[in-house]
Amino acid sequence: MADKNTEKTNINSPIGYVVGGGLKANLHVRLTVPAFSVQEGSFIVIKSGNWQFYSIATDLQLGATDPRFADDIMENRLPPSIVTLLQGQTLYTNLVVLPSLMLESGPELNSPEHTVWQELIDSGEKEEPHPLPVKTVPVHHSKAFLANKGDIAEIFGKETVDGNFTIGHTREQKHPVCINLDKLIQRSSGIFGATGSGKSFLTRIILAGLIDHDQSSVLIYDMHNEYGLDDTASDTGQNVIGLRSAFGRTKVQIVGLGGSADIRGISPDFNLTLSYEDIMPEDVEMLTRELNLRETTAATLDALVQKFGRSGWFNAFKSMKHGKMVEQDGKRIPAPDSVAFWANQNGIHPMAAEGLHSKLKRLFNKSYIIENPPSDSIQAVIDSLKKGQHIVLSFSNFESDLDYLLISNLLTRRIRAEWEKMTNLFRNGKSSEPRQLVIVIEEAHKLLNREMAAQTTFGTIAREMRKYYVTLLIIDQRPSQIYDEVMSQLGTRICGWLGDDDDVHAVLSGLAGRDALRGMLARLQPKEEVLLLGWGVPMPILVRSRRYNADFYKEIKHSRKMNFDQKTAINALYPD
Amino acid sequence: MSDISAGRLLRSNTRGCVVGCHVSQPAPAFGSMINIPTKNGKVFGLVYDIHIDDDGLVRQLAAVGSVPDEVIFDNRINRNVPVEMSIIFIGYSIDNKISHLLPPRPPLSLDEMYICGPEDLRNFTNAGHFGYFRHIISEQDIPAGELLSAHLQAAGNAQKVGGNTNWINEAIQEIIILLRDNHELMTNVLGAIGDAFPAS
Repeated sequence: MADKNTEKTNINSPIGYVVGGGLKANLHVRLTVPAFSVQEGSFIVIKSGNWQFYSIATDLQLGATDPRFADDIMENRLPPSIVTLLQGQTLYTNLVVLPSLMLESGPELNSPEHTVWQELIDSGEKEEPHPLPVKTVPVHHSKAFLANKGDIAEIFGKETVDGNFTIGHTREQKHPVCINLDKLIQRSSGIFGATGSGKSFLTRIILAGLIDHDQSSVLIYDMHNEYGLDDTASDTGQNVIGLRSAFGRTKVQIVGLGGSADIRGISPDFNLTLSYEDIMPEDVEMLTRELNLRETTAATLDALVQKFGRSGWFNAFKSMKHGKMVEQDGKRIPAPDSVAFWANQNGIHPMAAEGLHSKLKRLFNKSYIIENPPSDSIQAVIDSLKKGQHIVLSFSNFESDLDYLLISNLLTRRIRAEWEKMTNLFRNGKSSEPRQLVIVIEEAHKLLNREMAAQTTFGTIAREMRKYYVTLLIIDQRPSQIYDEVMSQLGTRICGWLGDDDDVHAVLSGLAGRDALRGMLARLQPKEEVLLLGWGVPMPILVRSRRYNADFYKEIKHSRKMNFDQKTAINALYPD
Repeated sequence: MSDISAGRLLRSNTRGCVVGCHVSQPAPAFGSMINIPTKNGKVFGLVYDIHIDDDGLVRQLAAVGSVPDEVIFDNRINRNVPVEMSIIFIGYSIDNKISHLLPPRPPLSLDEMYICGPEDLRNFTNAGHFGYFRHIISEQDIPAGELLSAHLQAAGNAQKVGGNTNWINEAIQEIIILLRDNHELMTNVLGAIGDAFPAS
């Protein structure tokens, strides 16, 4: 503990002192350093009595003791030295900080009171201090500091602790900022940012961290073939390392959609094809908007399932002929193998059935939906995930929204059912604990918008959190299009630059201090800075994200080695 | 401390006094710091006004068209009315302990006044933290800007000789702090100080 306190001791010079504010109105710190030495988003520590308050700078405001001092240009009237003195006393900058956490730091180090305080903790009579949500304010004139490395580590964890993953560094002093991957995967999370804000690179960094940490399996719906294989960055032209290249085939497998799928000329590890039996009525209903289906669809599908069963309806319906007529007694009537004939027999309006049949032709014609696939590739995906492998599902040449919506929802539904089964067995003591699974979905608003969220499995997963060991990592550029209820359930939100007010509002929904953070999101530096928010991080913080390149992989391998050595050393010292 | 008397006290109160001297005496300049010894200490003040009053003869002579030089000289040297100096008290000392508060009681009439030398200036201005500025700034009837700039020039030089080159900046900063809610007076005072230290 003494070491921890030494590390926490802030050796920086103060940057200012508290002059006002409150929990609701944020705190105001009068800067004693030039305004440009502190920026919006800086992590600020305020020391007051036995407490340290951890805050984030949300605004800088220019002020004057009298507005006339700000209005008058005094350089022409007074010598420079006097002008400097005058401006130093009458013109000032107030830093507005959003206090988030407070930590008891105890009496002054090396004082007798500190020794007594430390002894109480060591003897267990007093609880070990830990960061608490802020519930009071520092007193007037408490000194404010830029956070040092120890402060950051105190709140966000140390790099050397297993499960802590360095996502970036503080902007001014470049101290590492970690997110706890174990906590990240406990609830669904989101990565947001406008186009060109560096969202894909940020996602790669997080995914690499998750795969490296290996406490969960990851299924990535790679709509644009970005994550599995090496790529070339569109803006810099530099090589971008794919996850499979980085971690190898034993850890990361690439699955291509369709029997003859290839991804930019490279064959996947295995192919995903669907059987007719895999398509369920709810998969079709979920495509209502994409296929422009009518209100009669549900009734028609229900009749098909009643007639042919859940596993046979798709094949039977596909086999029916649309518009086929025969002559009987001089009249033209629907042929027995026609859609209209089946509709008449089952109390469905022929026009409704034929309309649905016509619209489902887009599905009937998909080459990845076949009657007798060589193997149950969905089960193969599930088995791989259960074994701890990570899957990148590439849509190869099937890049339409229809393909994405159908495949992602169908596969996720099967996976969730499997995990639900495993969870129930585990709870009944009949099986081991299921492995945590993170499903990564791009363009999430297509699956989680207000209309779809209630229908898709994704909406269910987002709402039920970790109940069945499956969580989502949603990636989107238009968070405002995602259903509010889903957004409010997201644990960790990692957000790059957003320009649209609605998107900014959506990302901050349900968070304390959102008014103060709103402007910050709109002023993030694209491709450089991200804001970490939400339940999964102790407090909001702005970080300069890591660079995703060969050095990144060297660093995470090095850190893994460090962790290993540390554990070995601890085990050697304390064998029991 | 100068041993030469610069005049005798004519009238006083706890905030200031008026001292008279013969025109041939070495009278202090505007802004000079003076001291008036008391029973067990000194009262310190600044000269903020020097005035020469007329008498009946001066009035008559002024009305005459041409006055011979020897008459003018004789009138100036042998005048009956003293040169008067208005002093604002800025502190006192008892048993060599300097305070920037007003003296507990004013000096008595005909007490002698002395001009403070550089050492007195340094001792007085080093004591406390410019507390005596408030007496100057709060007094309505004195030219605060002119007085402060004259004082800063004299005290700044004394401090500089004593090796404290930053005193002047600290003093100006203190004045700014005291006046930052009074834009008009601040502008006035700093304008005067700026004229006194054009190259500072």
